[in-house]
Amino acid sequence: MTGSTILETTNLNLWYGQKHALIDISLQIPKNKVTALIGPSGCGKSTLLRCFNRMNDLIDSSRITGEILFNGNDIHDPHVDVYAIREKIGMVFQKPNPFAKSIYENVAYGSRIHGVGDKKELDRTVEESLKGAALWDEVKDRLHEPALSLSGGQQQRLCIARSLAVGPEVILMDEPCSALDPIATAKIEDLIVRLARDYTVVIVTHNMQQAARASDCTGFMYLGRLVEFDKTTKIFEDPGEELTENYITGRFG
Amino acid sequence: MTGMSLSRMSTVAVVGTLVVLLMVAGCLGNDQTTTPERITVTGSTTVLPIAEQAREAFEAQDASAEIMVSGGGSSVGVKAAGEGTADIGISSRDLKPAETAGYPGLVKHHIADDAILLVVNPANSVESLTPGEIRGIYNGTYTNWNQVGGSEAQIVVVGRDSASGTREFFSEFVMDEEDFVRTQEEFNSNGGIQQKVSQTPGAIGYVGLGYTEGVKPLALDVDGTDIEPTLQNITAGTYPISRPLYMLTNGEPEGLAQRYIEFILSAEGQEIVASEDYIPVRG
Amino acid sequence: MARDFSIRARCQNFGWPRDRGTPEIGGPATGTKRQFVDWAVGKLLFVGALAAIVAVFFIIIFLLRDGYQIVLETGFWNFLAGAEWNPTGRNPAYGVFPLITGTLLVMALAMVIAVPLSIGSAVFIAEIASPRMKSVIKPAIELLAGIPSVVYGFFGLILLTDWIRVTFDQPSGSSWLAGSILLAIMSIPTITSVAEDAISSVPKEFKEGSLALGATHWQTIRRVIVPGALSGISAAIILGMGRAIGETMAVLMVTGNAAVIPDPIYDVFSPVRTLTGTLGIEMGEVAFGSTHYHALFGVAVVLLFTTLAINSAARVIITRIQGTQGTARPTPSGRVKAAILHSTPYQAITGAASRITHAISAPFGRLLPPRASQRCAFLLVSLSVAIVIAALGVILFEIVVNGAGAISWEFLTGSPRDLGRAGGIFPAIVGTFYLVGGALAVALPLGIATAIYLIEYTADTALTRSIRTAVDLLNGTPSIVFGLFGFAFLVLFMGFGVSLIAGQITLGLMILPMIIRTTEEALRSIPGSLREGSYALGATKWQTIWRVVLPPALPGILTGAILSIGRAAGETAPIMFTAAIFSSRFLPSSLTEPVMALPYHLFVLTTTIPGAATQSYGTAFVLLLLVLTIYLAAILVRRRYHRATVM
Repeated sequence: MTGSTILETTNLNLWYGQKHALIDISLQIPKNKVTALIGPSGCGKSTLLRCFNRMNDLIDSSRITGEILFNGNDIHDPHVDVYAIREKIGMVFQKPNPFAKSIYENVAYGSRIHGVGDKKELDRTVEESLKGAALWDEVKDRLHEPALSLSGGQQQRLCIARSLAVGPEVILMDEPCSALDPIATAKIEDLIVRLARDYTVVIVTHNMQQAARASDCTGFMYLGRLVEFDKTTKIFEDPGEELTENYITGRFG
Repeated sequence: MTGMSLSRMSTVAVVGTLVVLLMVAGCLGNDQTTTPERITVTGSTTVLPIAEQAREAFEAQDASAEIMVSGGGSSVGVKAAGEGTADIGISSRDLKPAETAGYPGLVKHHIADDAILLVVNPANSVESLTPGEIRGIYNGTYTNWNQVGGSEAQIVVVGRDSASGTREFFSEFVMDEEDFVRTQEEFNSNGGIQQKVSQTPGAIGYVGLGYTEGVKPLALDVDGTDIEPTLQNITAGTYPISRPLYMLTNGEPEGLAQRYIEFILSAEGQEIVASEDYIPVRG
Repeated sequence: MARDFSIRARCQNFGWPRDRGTPEIGGPATGTKRQFVDWAVGKLLFVGALAAIVAVFFIIIFLLRDGYQIVLETGFWNFLAGAEWNPTGRNPAYGVFPLITGTLLVMALAMVIAVPLSIGSAVFIAEIASPRMKSVIKPAIELLAGIPSVVYGFFGLILLTDWIRVTFDQPSGSSWLAGSILLAIMSIPTITSVAEDAISSVPKEFKEGSLALGATHWQTIRRVIVPGALSGISAAIILGMGRAIGETMAVLMVTGNAAVIPDPIYDVFSPVRTLTGTLGIEMGEVAFGSTHYHALFGVAVVLLFTTLAINSAARVIITRIQGTQGTARPTPSGRVKAAILHSTPYQAITGAASRITHAISAPFGRLLPPRASQRCAFLLVSLSVAIVIAALGVILFEIVVNGAGAISWEFLTGSPRDLGRAGGIFPAIVGTFYLVGGALAVALPLGIATAIYLIEYTADTALTRSIRTAVDLLNGTPSIVFGLFGFAFLVLFMGFGVSLIAGQITLGLMILPMIIRTTEEALRSIPGSLREGSYALGATKWQTIWRVVLPPALPGILTGAILSIGRAAGETAPIMFTAAIFSSRFLPSSLTEPVMALPYHLFVLTTTIPGAATQSYGTAFVLLLLVLTIYLAAILVRRRYHRATVM
């Protein structure tokens, strides 16, 4: 791997109650690159993604062993503020989930909860974030209309803008295009590539082409294990494992 | 499939509770073998204890009789007897002109008398009041116990609601129909007044003879003589605040209703009246 | 074939469109039958939905019938604004102004106390409590709703007023404050329970979205979850107000019932008299047909319209709040809507509304760093639950300690003797079952039909608006007014006499709005995509409702039913003139006979029979146990569903 590492896991194991959902995962996610996680449904890729910003804390029965380092710091260290972690590691979900507020308030939400009250500063953040998410031109005249009046693709970009507004270093995306049409999907993919200039993106996807098109590195997961993790070109052109090759070529099961 | 089983479960759940309740109802309702003669008695809560105790004693003697007693107030009693929704109405007041006009067939049976006692908190040092002082307290002239010979404490005036037969009697007999002080606290039962007075040091109220637990009955100071509200004084008529209680029937009573009223007016019935702290009308 | 034909013919007679059955698709038999069922169910639901309107119509007619004379006699303005209520004075005065003031004051203060505590408890249960804790606290608070108002009144009289008198060094504890505290305790379970359902049904995605941005749990609750549940919370508050404004038995035992306006107006220790209290204490003994009698029916009418005014105001506010939520689909009238959105009065109202919610949910939002503010907020929220649970604890403790001693085999299976001072309460236990079962049999089908009709079958039309208004009116109609109506209409006019059926119908009407409301709320929380999914498979409307919409809505519907059972079992006012008798040796063998009932028995024991304290507590204990059992059964059923729905 070249470049510096921003997220790193070592022997990560996770259980949901009795179910062993992640088994001995060790990987390093490079900074300012797009990393894709692929694999069949239920393989644990979303679970892994949710480990990075500790969203699994919300599930009472979950239990974790092993280490997750963010910029070299253990995110499970008792002194670490979980909210600060989520501020630095944003997340975009499978289904667009804008709040039942206006477009403006959705983007301003993050700034407000982190204590920004100044109107000018909020205006600037909202504009920059919407521009960053390639949504500004479409919504600049209707910022105070309900977010739920946007189309699905616009809603998803709004959710991306919303996470950009808090100034993250990493953006986790959990199948962000699965509910969108090809045009909206293409827009988001473009956006992902552009985002990688300033941010680190980790994306879970079912869409092999998407992983191939948009990502720099790819990890293939199967039954809770990380089977292979390498540069995307390598994974797609010359996979090291037979399992990976079978999956990528569609000769699976 | 889930939808199917859930909708089936919904039938079980929502309707189930219901069905069980109604089935229990059906089973329990049909266990009567005899066909008893039935009457209903309803009205004044003041007379209710007499009617109820008499029912119990009467039914013990006559197994085929079934008497159903309920409260609701004197006016309910008059109305129910007049309209025929009950066989006997019970009332702690005389009929109003409108009622006599509306139900000309109503027959009054004077079954007992009820005394009205003025009660204060046991901690109160006052032992007796003159009729004038009582009126003064209830019309708002006196607001502090030290104005009527007690210690320094605000008087909390407690009375019955304005529809009460007891209050009406009190108003006519004691108040000379003067208006009550507007801050008077009102309760709709003897028990409520008893409770209130027993826990409020400055309170004064008026209740029937049976409601003296935890409160102190006051003697009546008539021309310098204290008349205690004892049974003898009341029966003898020396304690003056008492009123008649009635049973009402539409026309002369017949059958079970007649036998029941006769029973109350019998020696045995009048003993029951006395044991419930009312004043018998036949000795 | 012949049968098929006849169904079809009948359908056409009913105006069922002929061309709906398309024989090519689905086959003639199934298509026709399915569509007939669908059509018939729709009509049936429509008829059910009219019940609320019919009920309100009859209530108003029968109240006006006996109440209009008072206005003829005193004049409209003298009646409404007259400052003195003294019906039996030498110069009778029938001014209801002090009564209206008393009603509003008592209710307002009760809400000031109850709303923060309830929302705090709801937030605690839905968001903070561990599943295990939740499984204890939620039913515990619902149980609070099952305590009959007579018991509350008894408590208020014995403990609360005395506590106020001693603590605040007042000559008398019977006061506005006592009434408000008692009403607050009584409406908390209703508000908490419904608000908790609303909060729990806010989509998980909202919560995750907020947390993923680094918001603290409290910030998420305050800024995303509570605003998202606002419509449900408002509905909860309206239900609570309905309970508070309609309460009679408890209030009349603690407010002192003096028809005065507090002087100064904020003197919470002043005795006050409410409209319901006036009916409760005076109705029983007033002479029928007298001016006083008409005046009391006039009071009932005023009460009804006061309630209507409060409910309408609340409804307007809710609609406005929902408007800002942005859930509205883009419509042609969007521009009009936008114009309204930016008008000043509108912004003033919503501004005020959101400021209120913020004041409740974030007393110190900006002053402290997020973590500390979360800690403080959670502390306050936990405190509100603690207060509610403590209130429950005190009351339960009193009942159990004093009541358990009275329980014996004879007490549970015998008939009362010696005025209830001895013997048992078996006929009252069974009577209560009859009444509650009958009330449910009346209200459940009608209520669920109405809710389904309102949510699934119609858009916003004049008819649905009138149905909703009627439901609001019914919801706000005090139980004592139901009692009066039951007496005037069922007992006298219909000639049922004081009977089981009169009581069942009266109680049924009383719980109808609660069932409609909670069912509506439950149906509304089912996402439209589910319905579309079912339609896409060729299901009819009714099949979709029955198989797809109702099952996941069931827990919500059950919550409504549970609360209704508690309320019906504990009510005294609606049955005291319609169904209840103090004693009976036998159980009723038909619907036309009167019954004994636990709350009425308790009422008579506590207020009229001296020396029956043990039996009073015993009766309260049994009543509580009975309600507890019904609750427990229903809660278990609900939990099973919850699991089934999740899987």
